[in-house]
Amino acid sequence: MTRYILRRLLIALPVVLGVLLVTFMIQAVIPTDAVTAMYEGQVTEDEAEEAIAAIRERFGLDQPWYVQFGRYVTHVMQGDFGESVRLRRPVAEEIGYRFVNTLQLTGAALLIGILIGVPMGILSAARKDTWLDVGAMTVGLLGISMPAFFFGLLLILVFAVWLQWIPVVPRGGAALLLPALTLGLIEAAPLSRIARSAMIEILRRDHIRAARSRGMSELSVIMRHALPGTLLAVMTVIGLQFGNLLGGAFIIEVIFGWRGIGELGVKAIQWRDFALTQAIILISAGAHIGANLVVDVLYAWVDPRVDYET
Amino acid sequence: MSLPDGATPPPDTFQAEEPVVARRRGGFRWALGRLLRNPSARIGGGVVILILLCAAFAPWIAPHDPMAVDTLNRLQPPSAANWLGTDEVGRDIVSRLIYGTRYFLLICLTAASISAGVGIVLGLIAGAGAPWVDAIIMRFIDMLLAFPYILLVLAIVAILGPSLWTAMAAVGVAGIPGYARLIRSVALTVKREEYVEAARALGASETQIIVGTVLPNTISPLIVYLSYATPIAALSAAALSFLGLGAQPPAPEWGAMLVNSRSFLFTAWWAVAAPGLVIFIAIFAMNLLGNGLRDVLDPHDA
Amino acid sequence: MPTRRSLVVSSALVPLSLSMRPREARAALKELRYRLIEDPESLHSGQSVSLTVSTCLNFLHDRLIYLDNTGKPQPWLAESWSFSDDSRQITFKLRPGTKFHDGTDLDAAAAKFHFDSILDPKLASPLRGTISALESCDLVDPMTFRLNFSRPFAAAMILFAASAYGFNSPTAVQKAGRQYGRRPVGTGPYMLKSWSAGTELVLVRNPRYRQLRPDAVNKGAPYADQITLTVLPEEGVAFSALQTGELSAAELQTDTVDRLRRDPRFAVVTDEKAKNFMFLEFSWRSPFDDRAMRDAVSHAIDREAIVRASYSGYGTINLNPLSSGIPGYDPSIGATHGTPYDAAKAAALLDQAGWKMGPAGVRAKDGKEAKFVLRSYASPVTDRALAVMQSNLAAIGVQVSVSTADWGTFYPSLLRDDWDMALNRWTYNDPQVMVNLFRPPGHRRKLPADAELTRILSGVESTLDPAERQKYVVEAQQAILERRLLVPILTNHAITITQAGLQNYTFDYLNQILHGDVRMSDW
Repeated sequence: MTRYILRRLLIALPVVLGVLLVTFMIQAVIPTDAVTAMYEGQVTEDEAEEAIAAIRERFGLDQPWYVQFGRYVTHVMQGDFGESVRLRRPVAEEIGYRFVNTLQLTGAALLIGILIGVPMGILSAARKDTWLDVGAMTVGLLGISMPAFFFGLLLILVFAVWLQWIPVVPRGGAALLLPALTLGLIEAAPLSRIARSAMIEILRRDHIRAARSRGMSELSVIMRHALPGTLLAVMTVIGLQFGNLLGGAFIIEVIFGWRGIGELGVKAIQWRDFALTQAIILISAGAHIGANLVVDVLYAWVDPRVDYET
Repeated sequence: MSLPDGATPPPDTFQAEEPVVARRRGGFRWALGRLLRNPSARIGGGVVILILLCAAFAPWIAPHDPMAVDTLNRLQPPSAANWLGTDEVGRDIVSRLIYGTRYFLLICLTAASISAGVGIVLGLIAGAGAPWVDAIIMRFIDMLLAFPYILLVLAIVAILGPSLWTAMAAVGVAGIPGYARLIRSVALTVKREEYVEAARALGASETQIIVGTVLPNTISPLIVYLSYATPIAALSAAALSFLGLGAQPPAPEWGAMLVNSRSFLFTAWWAVAAPGLVIFIAIFAMNLLGNGLRDVLDPHDA
Repeated sequence: MPTRRSLVVSSALVPLSLSMRPREARAALKELRYRLIEDPESLHSGQSVSLTVSTCLNFLHDRLIYLDNTGKPQPWLAESWSFSDDSRQITFKLRPGTKFHDGTDLDAAAAKFHFDSILDPKLASPLRGTISALESCDLVDPMTFRLNFSRPFAAAMILFAASAYGFNSPTAVQKAGRQYGRRPVGTGPYMLKSWSAGTELVLVRNPRYRQLRPDAVNKGAPYADQITLTVLPEEGVAFSALQTGELSAAELQTDTVDRLRRDPRFAVVTDEKAKNFMFLEFSWRSPFDDRAMRDAVSHAIDREAIVRASYSGYGTINLNPLSSGIPGYDPSIGATHGTPYDAAKAAALLDQAGWKMGPAGVRAKDGKEAKFVLRSYASPVTDRALAVMQSNLAAIGVQVSVSTADWGTFYPSLLRDDWDMALNRWTYNDPQVMVNLFRPPGHRRKLPADAELTRILSGVESTLDPAERQKYVVEAQQAILERRLLVPILTNHAITITQAGLQNYTFDYLNQILHGDVRMSDW
């Protein structure tokens, strides 16, 4: 097991380095830096030549990209993620709380997605080819059939303005409610599909048929025999989704004013604030790889038939 | 279910089942017949056909010029002259929505062609090629996946400059990993089938095996995957419009229409509701069609 | 839209919603709640040029001077000032008795500390780019300091009235080090109490505050106990928050304003002194090196339509090459030298210049069709302006293809040679903006050498005497219009919606609010 995890981490290392290298190459090609972007509509470069040069020098932006890359990797290994040109403070400080926020949002969204999607998928499978099945699958499509920013605004309109169940500008835990719901409903769709098809597949297996023929009730067949396998399938998907969720939540984060790394990432690119972009890419790549690893290990732990050595 | 490969989870979100190989039953006609009897597919397919018709005959269907600006009559509510009202610069919303079908289809087709085209090639090479080739391609795919999707797209747009084509290409590139993983896992499974081993023993070349055996087997899962991934690509393009990086003004692209009118949600709701609903209906229909296709083509349900 | 919540449905949620609703808990506390469009980056007044930061700093800092409602500098923290004979030195004398939030004194050393932090290359202050002529700061006596410039820089007096020149307590800066941007200490009416990054800033009353501006209502500590600045980027959310009473005031896009305008629960505050300026400029590649071509385009743009489409009418069309809120703006210049909308004249000008109408409604000259590239930055407002301009130009037989990008992509792309026209928007407090943009070779290095124009604009930059300078400002506007260097379009007004009971929420000449004066009518 330990060897397996180590091997996986070893494979992940070049992937992360590659992602970072590509990031630096992209940044070298992008025709603006943070300094130009900062003076939007206010100051012309001619006027500010000297000042701009000073800022570039202070943040190392005057170096060629490979020098910046080498320097960055060395610094990151010492735990230093650099300083943001726009925010004027260490990147780690800003990313830290934002990453926690994003984890909260994606965690809550996943939970909602699972709570809605999985029972719906199971129900659908158990009543396959009935109107209940068609209905559940159709409802499941709602969340992924609308642009997230539209869906989010509609939820605000309904729950905060019309019904006034929650404040538009919520505090604390309540702030999580709408964004997590929006994202959760989007997540519910693929999860219900997976749950449904996994369940259908399992229900066809011989040992289920045997259980049924022994006169076991349909409910206990599903709960006791089919559920574990279904959850296993759902789990794999969650690992994959998690990475997408981290970056994909950005519009939700913008609309609901949820300060996560997705929202910061979009800003960072618009600001051309490369120290921020790099850290965000690094952290999402890490989270993506980590989530997949955790799922695989869990998978192996739940299902001992999996062979680690392949 | 077993884990297909140490480093690689199953092909994708929407396809965690093992792809099934060498299904003998059916054929195209059989599938089409089942599709026509499937209610989801009928509704979804109907809407998609409607969109195709609108796109083809837009100049004849549209009641007004979709670009004609009239700022004195901006944000007019629905009326006999403008069935769904006018937008923020006084253009006829119905006409813009009708012309918008062209952009919608263009985005779907271009993004899907890029994702599927590159994804299939990479997946086949990885799945059927030597292990070291597989390893390199899969690391590349891992990198694409590890890159936060939207930042990748933004970065591509930042380099190439924003245009509808850049946006479509960016969305297409971001969709490559899903296809590549799907095709690869089909290829890996097919390679291990007994009849493939037999063909190999009888002297069939690797190319023959790929073209003759692996490729045909990818078709069903590919169609099912396409039908799920394409609506997502269309939504991603709309998300790019949210950041002002999608279709260029004054193109009547639905996503851009929705984004540009969203500040009127409380003052001229029709200008927001119209593109919002049309996007919803189109994507929903494609997803319904996808559900229908899965019911027909997905072996687990058969 | 139902505004009362349904009792039946919400009863199950009451315990939850009570604890979440701030309104109930507010009875005792005099609190004002405002919207921020984004999280401010750093509240170190010397380290940011962003608008949001400036909005926040205005609560925390007073400045040396302010501009009265004619645009003339008046003493605020400074008692008096004087210029040297060569106009390269300005000496300020501070009023005694001003204290920072931490109790330390504002003296000349503290002022010098601020200017030094802008000048120090190691600190890489972005403000340095806005005042590159500033060279050093000397102490004259404990309450007097002198600023030395490399060349006379007239715009300095207006810059010093902006929030970036609010002074930081040197003691606090030294104590907080790199964290100072999160714990600013100024001399203004409010003090920062807490900052939940990305969510809200809570400010509390500065009890020892005294307001030195004669135009203020409240000369003592501010009326409100507490100000909460909530970060709400999305327009629809801010609108909803106003409706539910969760905000006291918010600047909104003009799109949503009309609806609230008719609602007696709200008041609309229009800031007509806005300093922004939307204009169309040219690349000077053929045929735009020809004045006739630029002239025709200048007459073809329907500014009224753009004000309607982009800002729902909340703006003024502009025929001058200067924002209508900037001192020195004089509408009579636009009236005599401007290019008002006249499509027939535009078409006639093209005919004269040899651009003949082709069969497809596109003109051509010497085999070249009138098809051009129009660039801008992406925003709903520019999108609409572009749609109008595109149809205006199509009406005179000129076809433009439009492309937009975020600022970071758009602005540098103007250095290239693959465009013909660009729609731009600039915000600046002083006529100096004309120098920055149009002194040849111009801000995008496209303008041909022009000794006369250079002379006039240099006069705008370096003449400190207000009356003398005004002559150059007038001359510059005329010269820029004469040469058809740009097509001025509009200046839009910032619109703030306040709850009807909010008082004294008014903007001064530099679009700032005297926050100590603002109160609810029932306090």
